[in-house]
Order: sequence, then C-alpha cells, then structure tokens
Amino acid sequence: MGEDGTRMPRRDDIEKALEREFAVLCFDWDGTAVADRQADAAAVRNRIERLVALGVDIAVVSGTNIRNVDGQLGARPSGEGRLFMFLSRGSEVYVVGPSGPRLLERRQATVEEDEQLTAAAEALRDELTAHGLDIEIVYDRLNRRKVDLIPSWSDPPKAEIAELQRQVNERLAKAGIDGVGACVERARELCHKVGLAHPGITSDIKHIEIGLTDKSDSMRYVNKSLIEGRGRRPQDMIVLGDEFGPIGDSDGSDYLTLIPQLRRSVFVSVGVEPNGVPPRVLHLGGGPDAFLRILHDQLSEREEVAYRSFPEPTRDPAWRFEVKGFDPFREREIETLLTVANGETGTRGALEEGSAVSTPATFVAGVFGDGTGDPAFRQPVCAPDWIGLRLQAWGSVVNLSNGELVEHERVLDMRHAVVYRYWRQRLRSGHMLRVRTARFASLADRQLLALRAEATPEDGGARVIWAGAVGVSHAGGPTKETEFEMLDAGGFIARTRGRNGGGHALAVATRPAPGSPVARMVDQGREVIGGRLEPGDPATIDRFAAIVSARTRVPSGEAARRALERAEQLGYDELLRRHCAAWEERWHDADLMVDGDAGDQEALRFSIYHMISTAHPTKDTVSVGARGLGGMSYFLHVFWDTEVFTLPFYIYTHPQTARTLLAYRFRNLPGAREKSGHMGHKGALYPWESADKGVETTPPYGYGPDGEMVPILSGLMEHHISADVAWGTWEYWKATGDDEFMATMGVEMLLETARFWASRSSIDEDGRYHIRMVVGPDEYHEGVDDNAYTNVLARWNIRKAVESLAWLDSRDSACADELRQRLELDSGEIEAWLLVADLLVDGFDPETKLFEQFAGFYEMDDVPIEKLRPRPMAADVMLGREVTLKAKVVKQADVVMLCHVLSDEYGDDVALANYDYYEPITSHGSSLSPGIHAAVAARLGAVDDAVDDFKMAAAIDLADNMGNAARGLHMATMGGLWQAAVMGFAGLQRRHEALLIDPHLPPAWKRVRVPLWFRGSRAEFDLRRRKGGVEVGILVERAPLRVVLDGTERELEPGKHRLRRRDGAPWEVS
Amino acid sequence: MTLLIAVADPRADEELVTSARNLAKAAGWVPRAVHVREAGGAELGSADLADLEVVDLEGEAAATLAGFAAKADLQAIAVGLRALPAGKGKRKGNAPGRLGHVAEAMLASGVAPLLLVRPGMRPLTELRRLVVPLEGSPSASGAMKRADDAFCRRGREIVMLHVVTTTTPGESGSLPAPRIVDQEHYEWSAWQEEFTMRFSQCPEGGRHRVAVRVGTPALAIAEEARADGAELVVLSWNGSFADGHGAVVRELLETAPCPLLIIPPEPRAG
Repeated sequence: MGEDGTRMPRRDDIEKALEREFAVLCFDWDGTAVADRQADAAAVRNRIERLVALGVDIAVVSGTNIRNVDGQLGARPSGEGRLFMFLSRGSEVYVVGPSGPRLLERRQATVEEDEQLTAAAEALRDELTAHGLDIEIVYDRLNRRKVDLIPSWSDPPKAEIAELQRQVNERLAKAGIDGVGACVERARELCHKVGLAHPGITSDIKHIEIGLTDKSDSMRYVNKSLIEGRGRRPQDMIVLGDEFGPIGDSDGSDYLTLIPQLRRSVFVSVGVEPNGVPPRVLHLGGGPDAFLRILHDQLSEREEVAYRSFPEPTRDPAWRFEVKGFDPFREREIETLLTVANGETGTRGALEEGSAVSTPATFVAGVFGDGTGDPAFRQPVCAPDWIGLRLQAWGSVVNLSNGELVEHERVLDMRHAVVYRYWRQRLRSGHMLRVRTARFASLADRQLLALRAEATPEDGGARVIWAGAVGVSHAGGPTKETEFEMLDAGGFIARTRGRNGGGHALAVATRPAPGSPVARMVDQGREVIGGRLEPGDPATIDRFAAIVSARTRVPSGEAARRALERAEQLGYDELLRRHCAAWEERWHDADLMVDGDAGDQEALRFSIYHMISTAHPTKDTVSVGARGLGGMSYFLHVFWDTEVFTLPFYIYTHPQTARTLLAYRFRNLPGAREKSGHMGHKGALYPWESADKGVETTPPYGYGPDGEMVPILSGLMEHHISADVAWGTWEYWKATGDDEFMATMGVEMLLETARFWASRSSIDEDGRYHIRMVVGPDEYHEGVDDNAYTNVLARWNIRKAVESLAWLDSRDSACADELRQRLELDSGEIEAWLLVADLLVDGFDPETKLFEQFAGFYEMDDVPIEKLRPRPMAADVMLGREVTLKAKVVKQADVVMLCHVLSDEYGDDVALANYDYYEPITSHGSSLSPGIHAAVAARLGAVDDAVDDFKMAAAIDLADNMGNAARGLHMATMGGLWQAAVMGFAGLQRRHEALLIDPHLPPAWKRVRVPLWFRGSRAEFDLRRRKGGVEVGILVERAPLRVVLDGTERELEPGKHRLRRRDGAPWEVS
Repeated sequence: MTLLIAVADPRADEELVTSARNLAKAAGWVPRAVHVREAGGAELGSADLADLEVVDLEGEAAATLAGFAAKADLQAIAVGLRALPAGKGKRKGNAPGRLGHVAEAMLASGVAPLLLVRPGMRPLTELRRLVVPLEGSPSASGAMKRADDAFCRRGREIVMLHVVTTTTPGESGSLPAPRIVDQEHYEWSAWQEEFTMRFSQCPEGGRHRVAVRVGTPALAIAEEARADGAELVVLSWNGSFADGHGAVVRELLETAPCPLLIIPPEPRAG
C-alpha cells in the first residue's frame, strides 16, 4: 500500500496497462524522451516518424522552446498522424510536418501582464535578497520570469537534481526560508498582490518560475484537440513524464499534466521519483530507455499489420493486364501500356530503377512550349521523372543487370488503376532480393501521384537502402529550363518552363512507409532511407509527387509543396483508398462486362481504363490527345479523334467529361475563327491539330519512311474537323439533354462552324455548291473536290446550326438575340447558308444508294483486292504514293464513317450499299478505321466481318509484334472499340432523342453488360445470347428512358424491364 | 580479336585478302591467314601475303579449316567465293552449290561470322558505310549487334535497312514498318526512332540511318548497297538452306555489289 493508503501498482499492472495501443502518445521532453539537451535523439525521431506514419498522434509537452526541442528531435513526419509540440510551459502550440514546425497558437502577454510578471518576480527577488541571498531573474522567456535561487549553478542535468536540491535547501535554510515550497507559495501571493489572478507557478528547484501559463494549459489543449476534437476517449492517450511526484517540498514538473479532464488517461513515469508518484500515475522508471521501449512496443504490432497490408491487385484475371518477364525489345511498348494517368498527368510504366532501354517520362496535360526541331511546332513540356529510385542491398546497386532475373511481373489492375510490380533478382553476390512496387496517379486528387516500393532480403540479413532519384524525362520536348530546389528529408521541387509557353512545378518526397523498419539516414552525404534488415523484413518506402501546372507561366514551388503536404498528410494508404473509390465510381458507369471472349474483354477494359485515365472532367484547357498521356508521339495534339471517336464514350458514361471536352473547343473558338480568317473564310475552322492555344499546330511538312521531306496538307485541307466538332456538340446535346450547355456554348459553335461551311463552299456553273480542294478522312487522296464525308457533314452542320438557333429562340429569345448580335448574324445570312446546304453536292446516287467518296473517285484506277491484303496495310507504302493517289484505295473509313456518324439520318440500306462497296478497298492503314468498320458491320448484321475488324483494332495497341504503342496509345482506336461494342454489337445507338436497341452479338459473346447515361436516365443493359435469339434486361434509374424497338419509340419507366427477340422476329417486351 | 583469312591461292585470293585486311583494320582485329594444303603441298609464308602471319595446316581443306576455326577464338573468318560462271542464271534448289565447298562448310559450321568475298565484288578498301538488313524481329537482329560492336565508330555510317514486304514477323518484340500510319509526319519519325533504339545499342557515336525499301528483300538489299556505295553488307542467317530458308543470303551471294559478313545465330546458353 502507498503512504496515502492506495494500493501500489504492481509491475504486472504496469505491463498490462502498456500492452494497449494508444491513439495519442503525450510526453515530456527533458528527462523523459532524452536524458539531457545534448543527447542524440535519433532513436526517438525514428520511432516518432514511424508512429505518425501509422496514424498515431504525438504530443510533446515541455517548458522549453521550439528551437531546443525541434533542434534536438529533428522529426519531419508525414502520414495520417500528427506531431504536436506544446511548448514554453503552455504558451505555444506547434504542429510539425514534412517541412518542419508550424506555429498554431501562441499566448501573447499584454503589456500589463508583462509588467505584472516582472513586478511579481522582482518582488520575490527583493524579499529573498533581503534575507541575504544572491538572486537573479531571467527575463527573456515567453510569458514568464524565472527567479534563479542559485545563480552559481549553471543549468544542471537531471541526474544531479538531488545534489541541486540539497544545496538549494541548505542555502535557503541558512537564510531562514523554509525550502523551495515556501518560495513557491510566496511567489503565488506576490502574483495576486500585483494583480495576476491565475499565475502558473512552478519550480525546477533552481528556479521559481512565474508565468501566465503552465503545462496544465498544454494538457487542456491536448484534451480539446487530440481527444475530444477527434472523437477519442481520454483512455486512448498515454502521458509519459519523469517528474510527477514531489521534488523536495514542491510538485514535480509533470504534476500539472494531471488535469481532471484526463483522469482516465494512462499516466506513466519513467523518472526516478525519489518521493513516489501521485496515485493516478504508474511508476515504471528506467528513464529515456524505458520511454524508447514503450514507443517500440507501440510500433511493433502496428507495423506488423501495416506490413501485411502492402496493396495487392485484384485476383480477377478479367481485370488484370499482365506483363510477365522482361523483354528489352518490347519494354518501351510496355511502358506505354502501363501508363498511369488521371487526365492531368500521365506517367509511363518505366522501371523505377531504370534500365538501358527504359524511357521514363511524365506528361502534363495542357502545358506546351515551342519546339526547336525541324519543323518547329508546339510540343508538350514534360515533367522530370518522379518515379526514379536507387536501390542498394548487400552493398551493391540493384537492377536487372546485377545478377540473374528470377521472376518479373507487372500487373495493371484496371479496376483500380494501379500498376504493381513483382520482381525477384539473384544478385551477383548470390543473394536473393524480392521487390514489390505499386504506383498510381490519383483520380481523387489529380495533382497527386504515389508509389510504394518494398525490398525484402530473402536469404540473409542485409543493409538495404532506398534513395529517391531526380530523373530526367526521356521524352524530350521544349523545356527551356528546369530549376531544382532540394527539400529537407530527401525531397525536391522541380520547376520546369517551356519555351514560350507554360510550365509546371513538381514536388517529390520519399518517406519510410508505415510499418517498415527503415529510417531516414545519411549515406555518403545523401539523404536516403534504409536500415539493417533481417531476412524477410521489408524495407518499404512511400514516394509522393505533386504536379501543379499552368499554361502560360511556371507555378510557384509553394503550390506544389502544399499539394505534396496534402499527399503526405493523407498517407499512401488513404490516398490509395480514395483513388480506388474514385475509380470504382467511374467503372460503375463505364464497365463493359463481356462473357465469352477473354481477349475482347481485355481489349475493352484496357481501352476504357485508358480513356478514363486520359480525360479531365473539369479542366477545359485540356483535351484528349490522339496518343493519350503515355507517349510523346503526336505531341499530345488534339485531332478529330476526340470528338468523333472518344467523345461518345464520355457522353454515355460520364457526361461531365464530355461537356468539358466540348468546352475546350468552345474556349478555342477564337483560334478557329483566326484560322478561318487566315484562309480567307468566315466563321470557325478548327485546327487539324490543336494544342494549348487552339490555333493550327500541324507542322507544314514532315519526313517520310526514307527520310524524304513530305508536305503535310492536313492542316491546310482537312477541314471536316469543323463539322466533326459540330457533330460532337450535337451528339452530346441530344444524348444528354444539357440545354444549358447548348445555350451557352453549343449553339455558338454550331453557328460559327456553319458560317465557315457556307463561306467555304462555292457555286459553280452547274448551279450547285461545291467544296473543293479538301482532304477527307481517306488521306491517301489529297486536294480532292466534294468529299462526301465533308460535304454531307457540312450540310448537316448548317442545318443543325439553324435548327439550334431556332431552339434557342424558343427557349430564351433574349439570349438568342444577344448571340445574333454578338456574331453579327442576320436572317439574310442564315437564308444564304440554307441555300448552300440545299445546293451542296453530296455525290449520292439514289438508285445505287452509293456516295461517291469524292468527285472522280469512280474513274480512278482499280487495284486488285489481293494487293490490299493482308490488312491492316499501309497501302501508300506498299503500292507507292503515286499509285494510291490515282487508285480506288481507301486508307480508312470515309463514306463508311459518314454512314456511322449520321446513322440516324441514313438508314441501313444506304449503310449496307456503301459498306459493301468501300469495305473491300479499304486498307485500314489508319488506326481509326477498323473499329468503325466493326461498328457498321455489326449494325448491318455482318457479325463475322465485325469480329475480324474488332480484333484488328484490338491488336493495334495490344499485339506484341507490331510495336505501335511504343510512343503512345491509340485513343481513337479505343473509342472505336467502345463504339463497336456498344453501338455495333450491343446495338445501342441514339435515334434522335431515343435509344435504338438492336443487338448483334458476336458468336463468342454469351453476354455483355452495358451501363449508359441517356438524357438524365441511367440504364444498365444486360444482353444475353439465347437459343434462337437474344434477351435484354434493362434496369432504368433516375428518369424514364425512351427507346426505339422495331422502329417504334416507347418509354421505359424506372425499374426493371426485359426484352426478348427471336431471330427474325420483333421484340417481345415483358 | 582475330580475323582469320582462309587463303587457298594468294594470287587468286587477292581481293579477299585486301577486303579482309581492311575489315580487320576497321574493327581493330588482328588479321591472320590460314592455308590448308594437301599432304605434301607447298607451305605459304608471310612473304606470300605481304607480311600477314600465316598458319599452315595439312588435311582436307573444309574439314581442317572448320576444325581449326572451332578451336580458335575468332571474331570472323574470311573466305573467298568462286567466280560466277558467265551467263548462268540463278540455280534452283536449296543448296548454295556454287559457293565452293570451303565456304559451304564454313557457313554450315556457324562457328564465327563469315566474310564472303566474290570475285567481281567491289573490294572493301575503307569501311565508311555498311548496310545491315533488318526484318524487324529480335531474333534476326544479331547482325546489328555485331555491326554495332565491331564497326560503330564516329565518321562511319550504319544503314539499318528495313525491307517492307507483305509478310511481317510474328515474333514477340518485332517492329516491322508500321502497317497503320495515321499521320505520316509523326508516324515514320517515331517508328525510325524506336526502330533504332530497339535494334541498335551503339554507344560510340557512329551514325545510324534507317532506310526503308519496299519489295523483294535480296533485290532491295543489293540496290541499297549499290546506291549508297556501301562497302559491306552485314546480315543475320540461321545457317540453313533447308526448306527454302536462306533465299536472301543465297541470292545476295550472287548479286551483292560488296562483301558480305554473315552473322550466325548466337550460341544458346547452356
């Protein structure tokens, strides 16, 4: 029993109390965490950083100041937990993050309070001096004065406290004063006398400290912010100190932490406590060593759990895109295919440690500069490599060249957009090392990217060291300059500026991962992370990157640093959780589940994964580049690929993204007007290639296969892009019913493109309008007249523009008038447009139902079909440019494309006639072609052809013997695949403001599930092959869905519906 | 680092020796001559071959030479081809026939790269430009590796010749000329860059140029070598004329305007 009658806690009680995991660790500094101010605090720092990374909150409560504590501790934690410092005896609160301490709150004495403190201290000094004592006052402390009872002693270490106490007592006794306690009491009386109502009076034997605050203020703050503020209970906190019990006749310095609100917290003293401890305190003893053991115990269980939680990809093979082994010949293709992107940035899937064939690069959407090559044009400004890591084990650098590759596999988990790597290497030294990594570009916070890397020695203890590397992008580009600023704790900020363009700031930091027994350390003058590991122990790190970009300047490093801090505070696991949740949400509305053909399933999910990755849902300064965000090919330039090939995917799965992509075109209307004006026309002619400014970015020439200069005419002649943008606008409006978009952006785009077509057309002696000297989608034939695709879409564009203006008149006539006025558009001009539309040649023969691809096409040379096989074929290379110019050879879907995009205007009879005529002579020498042919063939019931074309399109990025993907993905192909699957095989096509249902499933497909958004309704189609027919289950949500069945429109109310169609028979609805 | 020159008759093999010596000089190899004589035949001395070191062997020429080469650490072997009979067309069938039995045996042995010089070829005087035909498959790119290793130097051009045909290699990692060309101003330069990176790893600053021709490979290779004034054609060959293989090599032996360096497949590990 204790002196006060309470039971003395046994050692077992203490051990049991310490077994728990505490959410908050609160402790005194001097004497508890460190023996003295000169002690090495590295071990404390290591454990604190690891605990914070694991989500534990740390509170250091001390009488001293930030310079002393932070200078000695030096912790720079990151993660879900926080490190707080409650200093200056309750007068200051700091939070410490990756970039150091930040003051949260400071109690600042008023002038009057300052005077009162001084008056009380001086009064005490005067009284003691009157007793013959030599007394000094320390004035320069925040909110307090220290009355020094024994100036002849410099600050004594805690170990000498007994001797100090003996000497002070002896000195006071000689002066007739009854110990330090009497001085404390007298100080309190003097404070009251000068008007200080609630002084904090404490003593460390040497001093009597008179202050406005004390540790009890700190503890009240702790309770408010870390306990109550975070929904915790007091028992979730342990408070560690070394002086809870009385020292001499005064309370110990930690006694004031025992505030009533925290009576259920666990208080433990590691001090000597010569006079015992108060009842609420468990006395463990052992000093800073015991303190460290407590921290270690708090870590160990958590770390074990954290280690086991290294993220794993889905096991469902239908969601895994796997690359086994390492093939140096294919590596750059693989890097592209394994790109992680989020519409803002895209990082190629290069090896973290690099190799002779690696080309790591991170692309930043919308940041361009002037290229310096020949010819010069706008090119993306790439970010430095953020994934670069150096790994050392057993004293040697670990890479694929060091020893023997035992296992190597990379897995793109398409469901959660994370690339995993598994690698085992037997090093030249004979040791075996296992490495895992997992990286992603956050879809939840698009400025952030993260990588976790783990190295585990398998067959012997090893010193393993990770070091973050500052890599150079292998993508090239118009970088004017890159400034590096090193951050403490192994990070850096790189600010990159493009020539005459935008820039970005990249901030990167590498940290020990929660649970990993590694720590930051200095190795050969460099900040690294590592440690001595036992076999099976993982050295795990987290690397975070933040990229902030601007189109016309370089953002400040501070912006990137703040974003990086955001990442570090969330921690890898939380970032990953949010990222996965964001992807789950996107897949919910986008996934095409195919049962029956694993290859088709992979191609579709792979395409959808990259389409989601590449587009930004809210940033209208960027669009989808033709080759995505995974390669430098096509320089992130935006073509018609966006509107005609990929936009439908976004319209039907994430309308917000589709709207933003169209907003990019609206934003760039001035550039389109400028181009049109330069060419002597009116209205808006969109650039064939668009970058950041919306002006024409197509280079005037390029180099052919043998290095010969080739003039590029697409920028000058491929004008159908203006109608393509108009088509995308109309398609979006009709499929979403987004009238607000149409009123504010869409009508203007339609009118300005229509104006261009009217201006571009010229009337001839035959009394008909013509559009001469163009390039249609079939780019083998340049400078042709009256390309059917161009002319028919131009006519359509004009008529839809007029229709949309009439709609605006009826919806908001003031808005329509304002638009007319702004565009200086009168009714006479509109009449003139309609005349052009009515008299525009379209090459259509009502008898044959054929469109002549362009004027004179039928008179061109025939080419034996066998000369166009096998497909795909670059016919201009195989046959020669001169031959293809004069031959009936089509590079890509042209008239067939027309039948596809205007499928609600041209019936199956027209589509069939043209498909039959043009399909055999199409070489599919463009990646844009086979997907659309597949969609049209499927619509027409030519399912075998459709399947062949679908697989041809799927092979463009995924075949391992074509090499097409090494420099970038084929976004239009991906969009074409989606259209083939949804509009072709599933047969879901827009017909005016309803959705046609007319599936033609491939023989191998047993079932396909298609989610769609259509005019405010969310619908999930479940199409199943049934013997002798097809069955369609439809779940309609949010709003009724208008569908077309056998030519008749009907409305499906929210709920479940089931349709059945036997071969050759009409639909049965149940 | 030896180039072994198989000399039968110093006077008849003068072009062979000249080409081989210059090739060795270009690569930094040491040229040595080997002469295989029948029992009792006359030995050759250095004086017969302008101070070239000569190894004299006795036995049946092809077998003895192949046996010697198999034991030696050689960078290449140079062998002379027979002159083409005037007015004769191409020989049908799988066997090379007119190569000469020594050349045939050495081709079949695959012990080392084989420099073949036919009378009437433009002798190799100074190696400034060489042509390396590449079909775009990893397994057939051994010639490029050898060419880079041995000849890639500043001031020398290696023409990486790709002949486009209707067939493409099915091997994983292949990079034939693109069959789809969306925007040719970007596509071809990107393909050439990737083609160079994929099949050439020369760190020495030599100049590489990708040339593309369409048509029959042997014809296109000979035309490229002729048009470019190439001094050497380096090509991979798996060593077999069986089942229609080696048609390109066979034809080039008769039509190439300059010496050929035939690279056998890399010996398999284990």
